[in-house]
Amino acid sequence: MDVRLLRIDSRLLHGQVATNWAKAISVNRILVVSDRVARDIMRKTLITQAAPPGIKANVITVEKMIKLFDDLRFVSLKPMILVEDPIDAKRLVEGGIKVKTINIGAMSFDSSKVMVTDTIAVGREDVKALKWLHDFGIELDVRKVASDSSKNLWKALLEKELVKDA
Amino acid sequence: MTRRDKILAYLDNHTENDTASATTEQIATALGILRPNVSKELNQLVREDKVKKKNGRPVRYFILKETSHVTEKRLEKKPTIGFAGSTALIDNTENTTFTERVENNDVFAGMIGSRDSLKNQTEQAKAALLYPPHGLNTLIIGPTGSGKTYFANKMYRFAVAKKIIARKGFTTFNCADYAHNPQLLMSHLFGYVKGAFTGANEDKDGLIQEANGGMLFLDEVHRLPPEGQEMIFYFMDHGTYSRLGETAKVHRADVRLICATTENPESALLQTFVRRIPVTIQLPAFDQRSAREKLQLLQRLLTLEANRIRKNIRLSEDVVQALLGSVTYGNVGQLKSNIQLVCAQGFLNSMQNKNEINLKFSQLPPNIKDGLSHLANNRHELGKVTRLLEPMMVIKPDFKRGIPEVDSYELPYNLYEIIGDKAALLKDEGLDQSSINNFIMTDINLHLKSFYRQGKLDKTVNSLSEIVDQEIIDLTEQIQRFLQEKENYPVRESFIYAMSLHISSFIKRIQSGKPLRNMSDDLVSMVHDYPGELKIAGKIKKLVEEHYGFPIPQSEVYYMAILLASLRSEPKTGKVGIVVAAHGNSTASSMAQVVSQLLSVDNIAAFDMPLEMSPKVALDGIATQVRTIDRGNGVLLLVDMGSLSTFSSKLSEKTNVHVKTIDMVTTAMVLEAARKTALIDSGLEVVYRELREFAGYSRTLGKKQEKNEHTVSKQMAEQKKKAIIAICSTGEGTAKKIKELLDKILIDNLIDDITVITVSVVKMKAKIAEVQRDYEIVAATGIVEPEISVPFISLENLLQGGGERFVSLIEQVNDHNLDSVHALEQSETLTEETSQKYLDQYFTFINPNKITKILWDYCDFIQQHSDFIISNTFRVSLIMHLAGALERYLTRSEVEVDQQKIVAIKSDKLYASIKQANELLDKTLNIKITEGETYYLVALFNTEKKKINTL
Repeated sequence: MDVRLLRIDSRLLHGQVATNWAKAISVNRILVVSDRVARDIMRKTLITQAAPPGIKANVITVEKMIKLFDDLRFVSLKPMILVEDPIDAKRLVEGGIKVKTINIGAMSFDSSKVMVTDTIAVGREDVKALKWLHDFGIELDVRKVASDSSKNLWKALLEKELVKDA
Repeated sequence: MTRRDKILAYLDNHTENDTASATTEQIATALGILRPNVSKELNQLVREDKVKKKNGRPVRYFILKETSHVTEKRLEKKPTIGFAGSTALIDNTENTTFTERVENNDVFAGMIGSRDSLKNQTEQAKAALLYPPHGLNTLIIGPTGSGKTYFANKMYRFAVAKKIIARKGFTTFNCADYAHNPQLLMSHLFGYVKGAFTGANEDKDGLIQEANGGMLFLDEVHRLPPEGQEMIFYFMDHGTYSRLGETAKVHRADVRLICATTENPESALLQTFVRRIPVTIQLPAFDQRSAREKLQLLQRLLTLEANRIRKNIRLSEDVVQALLGSVTYGNVGQLKSNIQLVCAQGFLNSMQNKNEINLKFSQLPPNIKDGLSHLANNRHELGKVTRLLEPMMVIKPDFKRGIPEVDSYELPYNLYEIIGDKAALLKDEGLDQSSINNFIMTDINLHLKSFYRQGKLDKTVNSLSEIVDQEIIDLTEQIQRFLQEKENYPVRESFIYAMSLHISSFIKRIQSGKPLRNMSDDLVSMVHDYPGELKIAGKIKKLVEEHYGFPIPQSEVYYMAILLASLRSEPKTGKVGIVVAAHGNSTASSMAQVVSQLLSVDNIAAFDMPLEMSPKVALDGIATQVRTIDRGNGVLLLVDMGSLSTFSSKLSEKTNVHVKTIDMVTTAMVLEAARKTALIDSGLEVVYRELREFAGYSRTLGKKQEKNEHTVSKQMAEQKKKAIIAICSTGEGTAKKIKELLDKILIDNLIDDITVITVSVVKMKAKIAEVQRDYEIVAATGIVEPEISVPFISLENLLQGGGERFVSLIEQVNDHNLDSVHALEQSETLTEETSQKYLDQYFTFINPNKITKILWDYCDFIQQHSDFIISNTFRVSLIMHLAGALERYLTRSEVEVDQQKIVAIKSDKLYASIKQANELLDKTLNIKITEGETYYLVALFNTEKKKINTL
């Protein structure tokens, strides 16, 4: 399986932004990986129907994603994987999904979190996961759409003094 | 004096009309000639028209004298249909003048059903045409092949006859022809000016101008892009239009417009467009027409062929039944194509006979033969048809009927001339008759197939040829013909699939030098029950050996015999019927359709009840459906509301059919009912009881869960792996191919936890039981249907692309969320509240409490100002996207887009509406949406539109 993009976006597949990505990096499948959504029929339906024309979207659990990744039967998939938060992203990488970069779109705010950029809010668990990913050697790339210039989330976290370079 | 002269003399002396006549016996005794000889002479004399006969027992013969004119007239009037006595082409004068007179007065009177199932439609059409001052625009709706073009043509002829259109001219335009290129389509319709687009080198008028003063028929109007619909309705309103490249609508044309579509206009056409068409004519599907009409249609279509061939067409009762039953989805159009096919075949087989062609049941193509069993499944229909039938039907050319009108089911050339020429040519080359027939039959099939719009056969064979070599398909077809023609062995449509897959697998096996399959005792004892099949299998073996030039082991003959036995058609009687009745224009029928497609079952009928329908009408309608679907084992009525459940006893009374009612119907329940009733031995009471306990496929629903929590968790722990079983004769060849196919589809749907297991029909039950010990069988496919209660898909269906649906069904059953898609789009669950919840979850700076209403209104505004229909799903996407745009504004991080792209969208139709809606945001929130954000909004709409169009 050739994972073309692993993207964190708490909105997952909503709106034109995900469609723009899917086109820019030529994927043949969109995999929305979230245990919560996989159980929520309403959201699951909304998301699979929001897929751009010609590309199929599936909503699966983290566990299933990891299982599929190693399964030779699915070798021809070139998916864009969408997760809601860094914690799920970390679980995927731990489970053996190989990526060099993780793209971060938007992470929604709540009172337990702080804003790092104008669209990205992180909580304590998020920071932990992001640090783990950084230490694992994965680049944390912040872009809304493919044509934006890339910013590094790690730098932003350093500036906010949420993490320290080892 | 010869024997013949003696008889003539006797009759001349002793008879003068049908009362003063003589019997064969009398003549034989009087003249002392043996009775059989008298009889023979008399028959010859009757044929020569020297002697008349009076039917009845005993038959009386006489020579008519000048004095009895009246009798003569009565005797000469032979019915056009039903009597095969004379081969001369009779011009039925009386009948023709009648038709002509009527046609002059009222074009519609000659149309079959104009006083019956098309009565309302005819009245509507006349009213629409005669409505002062210019008539009303009309939309004809009807399924594929129901005769929309024919009907429109009749309307035109009526308009001409009544002199209500200024000029003769009926212009037809099929919007599907250019659907892939809207620009080209529009230029055809409206014309263009020089320079409007590349290649527009001069001004050109469109069809609208061409139809000025006449009538324009827009077929498949749902394929007209929204812009085109807008231009058309502007034209309807004002009578003016512009050519492409012009800004002002300066052209004027007076055109009567008739549109036609197969789709539901509510969803397939712009509402603004539909509103402007005051008259909607709904044509019935073939199976909704009465038995008498069906028969009349058949006779009319056969007469067209008889006219072309200039011979009588003779066909027996079972051929008529098979032809009527062969109409599955394509209505009258399909009947016409099928009639052309069998007439072409009959023409070829009766080439030597100058006077008539004879259609024999045994010579029909298998898919038409299947029509007989199809019709026989519906006892009531069969009964009605049969009552109207004579054992033998003879259709004579009727030149007053004229040549057929042009429609899309009409061949663009004379097939019969082609057949005749070709046969003569082949004969000159010295070929024998059977090879000539072979050649030409291939030809006929090719012609008709290439022409047959639905291309059902083509599609089938194509997908089959993806997994089996063409050589083997050809060989199998040869075997099929051999069995039909030489052995008189009944062969069904599924034969080609099952047999070619089987041959393919064992040929591969032999060629690769793998060991022979062993012949188990089970196999031998099973074959013992089918001596006929074993004999046929031996002959097939010979054919295959001849073809490949190497010996086929005897064990294969046994397997082939098993395959043949499995393929023999099973009687389909005895299933419990299901009738779905629900409020709403299509709620019931869409549920029934989904399920009958998924499970390919034929025991479901639906009854839709629009809200304004009275209970009395509903009861009658449901009763009709109950009678239709009953196979003698009772009917299960699934309804949506409790009030309907009181119908049971009334229905039983009315129909004499045992009816049981269950309310709160869902698609899942219909599915379950279909699965349960698919087993022949499950009676109405059993199914009813089991279904009452059915609470959806989801085990985690509502109260049940609490009660059953313990058992559920236990079940979970013990849950077995899931499997689909694929059944073939050996469990090795064909089933393996099916396994490959299913595995591919499963993978495409990311299903990794279902195994496909192949099973042989030999000892099938035991093997399935074995599988069931380790697996939970969720579905089955293959050459026979196993008697277990799971969805089954036939081999043909699977190969014709049904596999995808099959697997998604299984997935849904597994995932416990079958009705979610429907539920979302149909129910009112998507409210501002839900949207607000989503916004709350995902956004930081905006206040969902205050913003949701504004964004909701934004969607409504666009919907009102653009004819863009916003589905619930799309509304959520749009609201989420807008909220994102607002946040980007607030954080000054709006998306940026190339200037070029922004320029490009300004010409987009939706651009203006979106800009206006954006102004609303500016007005209420003082937030200005940038051009970059607007670009993405337009793009979002366009993606959605593209998606709707590709559905």
